[in-house]
Amino acid sequence: MSTLKDIPVRYEAEEAPARSNPLANVFDEFMNFCRSRSLFMLHYCTGCGAIELPPAMTSRFDMERLGIQPMVTPRQADILLVTGYVSVKTLKRVILTYEQMASPKYVVGICSCTVNGGMYWQSYATAKKLNDYLPVDVYIAGCMPRPEAVIEGLRKLQANIAAGTSDNWKDYYQRYDHYLANQQRLFGETWQTPTDVIGEAKRYGVIGPETEGEHTRLLGQHKQPLEPLRMTLNAGKLERME
Amino acid sequence: MSLAELLLELLVMPLVAFVIGLGMVLMMRRIGARLQRRVGPPFFQPLYDIVKLYGKRTQTSHGLVHDIGIVMAVGGYVAAETLLPMPGMNGIAEKGGLITLVYLMMVPSLGMALGVGQCANPNGSIGIGRALTAMLAYDVPFVIVVFGVAFHFGSTNLVSIIELQQAAGIAGWGAVQMPLLAIAGLFALHGMLGKQPFEIYIAPAEIATGPMVEMSGKFMGGLFVMQSFQLYTASALYVTLFLGGGENWLFFIVKCFAVLAIPVSLAFLFPRYRTEDLVRVFWKWPVMIGLIGLAFVMR
Repeated sequence: MSTLKDIPVRYEAEEAPARSNPLANVFDEFMNFCRSRSLFMLHYCTGCGAIELPPAMTSRFDMERLGIQPMVTPRQADILLVTGYVSVKTLKRVILTYEQMASPKYVVGICSCTVNGGMYWQSYATAKKLNDYLPVDVYIAGCMPRPEAVIEGLRKLQANIAAGTSDNWKDYYQRYDHYLANQQRLFGETWQTPTDVIGEAKRYGVIGPETEGEHTRLLGQHKQPLEPLRMTLNAGKLERME
Repeated sequence: MSLAELLLELLVMPLVAFVIGLGMVLMMRRIGARLQRRVGPPFFQPLYDIVKLYGKRTQTSHGLVHDIGIVMAVGGYVAAETLLPMPGMNGIAEKGGLITLVYLMMVPSLGMALGVGQCANPNGSIGIGRALTAMLAYDVPFVIVVFGVAFHFGSTNLVSIIELQQAAGIAGWGAVQMPLLAIAGLFALHGMLGKQPFEIYIAPAEIATGPMVEMSGKFMGGLFVMQSFQLYTASALYVTLFLGGGENWLFFIVKCFAVLAIPVSLAFLFPRYRTEDLVRVFWKWPVMIGLIGLAFVMR
């Protein structure tokens, strides 16, 4: 990178046309404020960090006074909390979960393991940086962070949302090729998820120059039609699920 | 009453009900928080939740019936509000009556069943199956109570039921005249709200909130709106039948919140009943109390 020309520049997507409503900005600010004050979190408790969440939610530190409350399905959730190391097998599930959430959605990585692999740095089966596979909004470092630190991190996220600067969920749509490349590096070229990310990006107008690329073309080659889950009434013989 | 006044009332009654319902959601969450020694959510939290859910950028719909199901769930309660007299506003309560209201209060559950059916999520199907079973359980004592009250006052017209109670003073209230039916009614109200001992169909830890499992964005927002309507409708109906309705707005709101506070406070003290135990409890105790109360009323 000797000259300025060599430095890669990422182009932002085109701005939406100016709205005629004079109160549009007020409306946006109100919406951002409501978003920041009402966060439903889905905790994907993969590691030891999960033990710090119950005290943060219950009577000692009480997250509900900040408008943060736990939800149990990805469809209803706003925050995906990944609390600890993500093994390669777990990461598949985390990505599936993330893609089912409704935007705007935020990812919070708790513990050192999500930042750089932490004490699992030498493990062959652990994803080191969560940032490579999902757009992380806030990292809360520590091994493990105390509930005060967790709440501090979530308040930081709230401040970002209220200011309108926390839109990493757009980054996942706009640079899907980049994220997919890292995912394919771990899971192999045949990796695919049921969610049509590119279709969603087109539908909601958040498509970027790097949404599609060589890795998403690979996705098209291996695309298999989705099959509905088979349901059986005999609980003793549940079908093995992939 | 002129047509314009009637239309205005039909518009205002659901709106007022919604605002009171939001307050009830807040009270429910605050009571839960205080019982667990927490501070609880801020004052406008129910509003923030609904605005945020409707403001989601991506909306996942599972098809036309999913959309219609939510509309039915909210619409059933909106229609029920117009049949439930408020202080100073009767809407179409005189023409509808108690029996229509009881029918309309079942529509939201059926709407939810339709919507959830299209989601094809096993947790949702299990949840709605349990919810309809629970409805079957609490509707039996509920119908006994409604029949007893209608028999006692000799009318299914909610406006005249309120007038009769208010004319006789506190001694003429349904709760004083028919205490056993009032207890059975409180039991049925608790089941209708789906609060803790009777919330096996939501069960977040096992079937991931059951019927709501696939609801995101505005669909979940619709269900939050439905919840505030549900809290209002159930408590206002109880106040109308047993506590003499509202002489004025202050008494009406205080009575509604007080009635709701009973099941909500009990809710956080108990674990859940299983579905079969739930049906057994409902068909045994409130039905027994209700039938004895009915015998006293009809003697």
